[in-house]
Amino acid sequence: MPFSAKLDEAMMRRPEQVMRLDRMGSSFPTRLSFMRALIRRMSKEQWKFERLRQDVDTNGFGVSVYAAHTPERTYSLVAFTQNIPADMRTDRVIAEVWDATFNLFDGVPTQDDIDYLAKNTPKQEGGRFRPSELSLARANKSLRLFEHIVSSLAEGKQPDVDLVASVGYIMRTTAVYGSGKFGCADRAKIADREECKVSFHMELLAVYLIRWFTIDLVETIAKQRGGNKAANLEPHIRQFIGVGNSTGLGMAPFLLKHPVLIHNWVTAKETALARVRSLETPIKGSLGAFTQSVRQVSQHLKEWRVADKIQSARIEQLEGEVSELSNWCDDESNLVKPYPWNGIYQFAEDNFSLECQEMVVSLVIEPHGALVDDLADTMLATTVPQFEAGMSLAMLKSIVKDYYAWATSIDFSLSESQHYFWYYSEDKLEPRFGSKGVDDGVDQEMPLAIGRDADDLNEQLKTALDDSTVGEFVLQCPQFRHIIRRIQNTALRPYAEVQDNLLGETMRPLDLLRFKLAFFGASKFDPKSDLWTRISMYQGAPMPDQLSYADHDDWAFPIRPKNVS
Amino acid sequence: MPEQLTISLNEILFIFTRAGFGVNAPIGVSEDFARSNMWLAENGFDPSLCSVAALDSLDEGKSSLSIERSDDGFSGPSSQYLSALQASVSVLDGIKGEQNVEFTVANVDSPLLVVAALGANQVESWKVCWCDEVGADFQVNFMANGQWQIISDSASAIELSKGATMQVSLLDDTQPALEGNIQRFDSKVEKAKILQTGIAVHQHWDAIYAYFSRCLVKSTAESRASGAGAGLVDTD
Repeated sequence: MPFSAKLDEAMMRRPEQVMRLDRMGSSFPTRLSFMRALIRRMSKEQWKFERLRQDVDTNGFGVSVYAAHTPERTYSLVAFTQNIPADMRTDRVIAEVWDATFNLFDGVPTQDDIDYLAKNTPKQEGGRFRPSELSLARANKSLRLFEHIVSSLAEGKQPDVDLVASVGYIMRTTAVYGSGKFGCADRAKIADREECKVSFHMELLAVYLIRWFTIDLVETIAKQRGGNKAANLEPHIRQFIGVGNSTGLGMAPFLLKHPVLIHNWVTAKETALARVRSLETPIKGSLGAFTQSVRQVSQHLKEWRVADKIQSARIEQLEGEVSELSNWCDDESNLVKPYPWNGIYQFAEDNFSLECQEMVVSLVIEPHGALVDDLADTMLATTVPQFEAGMSLAMLKSIVKDYYAWATSIDFSLSESQHYFWYYSEDKLEPRFGSKGVDDGVDQEMPLAIGRDADDLNEQLKTALDDSTVGEFVLQCPQFRHIIRRIQNTALRPYAEVQDNLLGETMRPLDLLRFKLAFFGASKFDPKSDLWTRISMYQGAPMPDQLSYADHDDWAFPIRPKNVS
Repeated sequence: MPEQLTISLNEILFIFTRAGFGVNAPIGVSEDFARSNMWLAENGFDPSLCSVAALDSLDEGKSSLSIERSDDGFSGPSSQYLSALQASVSVLDGIKGEQNVEFTVANVDSPLLVVAALGANQVESWKVCWCDEVGADFQVNFMANGQWQIISDSASAIELSKGATMQVSLLDDTQPALEGNIQRFDSKVEKAKILQTGIAVHQHWDAIYAYFSRCLVKSTAESRASGAGAGLVDTD
């Protein structure tokens, strides 16, 4: 721990409080989120960025290469852009064409590499890739903002900031694949590299370069259209432009299939919160920074406008609660007590919505970089859950009792408790969420019914002898091998499990998506249904030429640029 | 697309888990099956070669997932092969859970998969010996730090060995080893190579993929419209 702090274990929130869908679905990014940590690494290590190639026509169609030079090696974004029919522009996995397609290449690609990728990358899932490709991605334009920015810049004007703020991005990614997908490099190839150790850093490097590419592309097209009259984007507008993303059901199975990783992510965040709450006296300047950020977040909330009625209502309530928090903080007597951060957190927990509680978690962690940033390096997994055949059934029963009461208390005989099932469609392996009795495919259900399986196991264990082993038990009941391995892992890693029924009638996959996206560092969650959401990534983050600035890490809860009409 | 199809380890995990499930193996057993195949691939083998035989045999009813434990070891129904998918996890559980020094595993359809399960779980100082139904002898020794070796004089590939009664026991230097050619492997070195090149798969890959595809659900207009995220046309 780089900054001395005693961790009061009692300040750690319990898994049964944290790993509930309603709270998970209220998550916000923190300074430990992967985009924030990656930006800090880029700045600290003085990464260099370089456009290596831009062969595009007057419409911006062609190929471009952008490089990130770390102290040890180079990674290159290879980008292909093309004209596509407007009615084929869909964010779904089942899409066949995209405005832009990308690979993050390990090193600098040769012409042969680019020729190979030109045949494969635009096909996305239909192409085949090699261990030299670290990620595969695609993006579609916001037609409205893309053309507005190009035409404004071509005329030598800056774009309408209100419009920029209302969309937030020039292009929207619809998938960013890594870790061996479609032949790309396995994570094991790069897992020992310092810059790749933390989860998703290479995928998010690709997204960072995509952001730069989109901004560079509109400026290039504007120059070709407007000639000498054309302008570049003003730096603070550039910085406010992020990359959009549409995220659907694919993220949900990931969370459930990587329990070790999820435990480690959550442990890092909860440890950060507990360290802050354990401070008896505030670090100099931190309370001032906090109250300032509460004011800034009020503006951020005013700019966070979505069509979804549920989320709109939540934002509206959040605005009121943040205002109330601000007033509470203005009363000095509330902050001069011992353990002021615990006091702030406790006030939020006692008085505000989950959405506000989780925002307060982010806000109280934010001014404590020296105290918590080391935890970002623990947000990874190097092991997979093991099946412990020698464990006694008495021990297994005890773990089920201690850690899975949330599951065994559900009555799975009720149809509403098993309303949904998860499956992969043959249509490009798109993950889907089916209703029992309505949709086909129950027999091909993905093994994500954790609660139901734990409950079934619990029933079976009631008649099993305590002194026999798990290995003996699965010889007779091999169908429980999967859930036993999972349960054994949970005893070691209690934040691993979502403690809610993922099949129930009221289940909203959106909660899982937001939980994961917040760890990425996404903001401006814009739900389009219970099944998918749009978000912004890197909005407010420094551009490559701003990474050396002293305020390079100050982009939490970004607000629209000032001083531009 | 390259003429030679190469795949990643992660694709093996994804595809083989569901391929096992596609022949009605329990999902937990299928997960171990997939990790065994990853280990085979990491050591330079085409995992589809022995696995397609095991999956075919289960699918055709020639092999069984039923298993019984006796004092000597494991066996399946007398009229069928014992599926390597089940045999491999049972042997592994035996080694890890019971600390026994020797097991016999009768009439296993694809013995290399049992070997792979031990390798995938970093078993050390154990050996596996078998004579298969065509009389070919194999011995596999697991040493420390990912070092392992195959000893055999057989002209046929170990991936194709079939119908074996296997002896799994502690590696004891005082006992004579099988005489034959020795192939030595260092799993860490082999894996590092594979991570740079990908895993080449051959003609049996399509059959593996066909088993995997059994886990996919046919798409309908309704499921396409309602069961997944995002809209069908997104311009903004």
